[in-house]
Amino acid sequence: VLVLTRKSEQSLHLGDDILVTVLSIEGDRVKLGIDAPRTVSVLRHELYEQVRAANTAAASTHPSLQSIAHAIRTSKPMNSGIASASASANDESQS
Amino acid sequence: MSAPAQVPAELVDPNKLDDASVIVFSEGLVGQPRWRRFVLLTADGQDAVGVLQSLDDAMVALMVTRPELVVPEYAVSLTAADRISLGLDSDQQPLVLTTVTVHGDLITTNLVGPLVINPHTLAAKQVVLSDPGYSTTHPVAHLGAEE
Repeated sequence: VLVLTRKSEQSLHLGDDILVTVLSIEGDRVKLGIDAPRTVSVLRHELYEQVRAANTAAASTHPSLQSIAHAIRTSKPMNSGIASASASANDESQS
Repeated sequence: MSAPAQVPAELVDPNKLDDASVIVFSEGLVGQPRWRRFVLLTADGQDAVGVLQSLDDAMVALMVTRPELVVPEYAVSLTAADRISLGLDSDQQPLVLTTVTVHGDLITTNLVGPLVINPHTLAAKQVVLSDPGYSTTHPVAHLGAEE
């Protein structure tokens, strides 16, 4: 991480298009002014993280077609309840 | 019910899709810049929920809903830059979808990061709303609650 020290009313450039200015410092609150093209989205990190996490959760909330197909192809045949019930009824055992 | 089930794989085979059905998020989703191209799969007879299947990563599929079914007054305010990037005129209404997540038996939807789609060009963008009244895990319903 690049660490820079700036005083109140000093600025820094991010590339050619983005200028970040420290407007004021009051206690533990820093007020920043951000001058950036409208196409650049500026988000509080907490909000960005919330939405990123929600996207990840949404993608894993239910299996995609591909992941179901993958699970079926790679899984071993499972003993169904009926099959194991009849197996125990017939008193067969596999070992 | 008696109609034969469609083979879903045919719906998401990128080789068999024309561009007219591909939803393109040119910037990807928030935190997931590689999730750019999707198709929206819906089942006949219901429009409450659909699946956005990624064409870039076959393992990625997002369940989505129409948020106005959950919060009737839900509104997404687009900036001028959003409208430009989506190719939406000021009088054109976008299609808005929100992702659905299931936590145990609780269904939630993300009202903070709606997916905004130009219904004509299918250009799309995930917008992040800073309205503190909205939640990324807004409760929708409980699975099997009708039983």
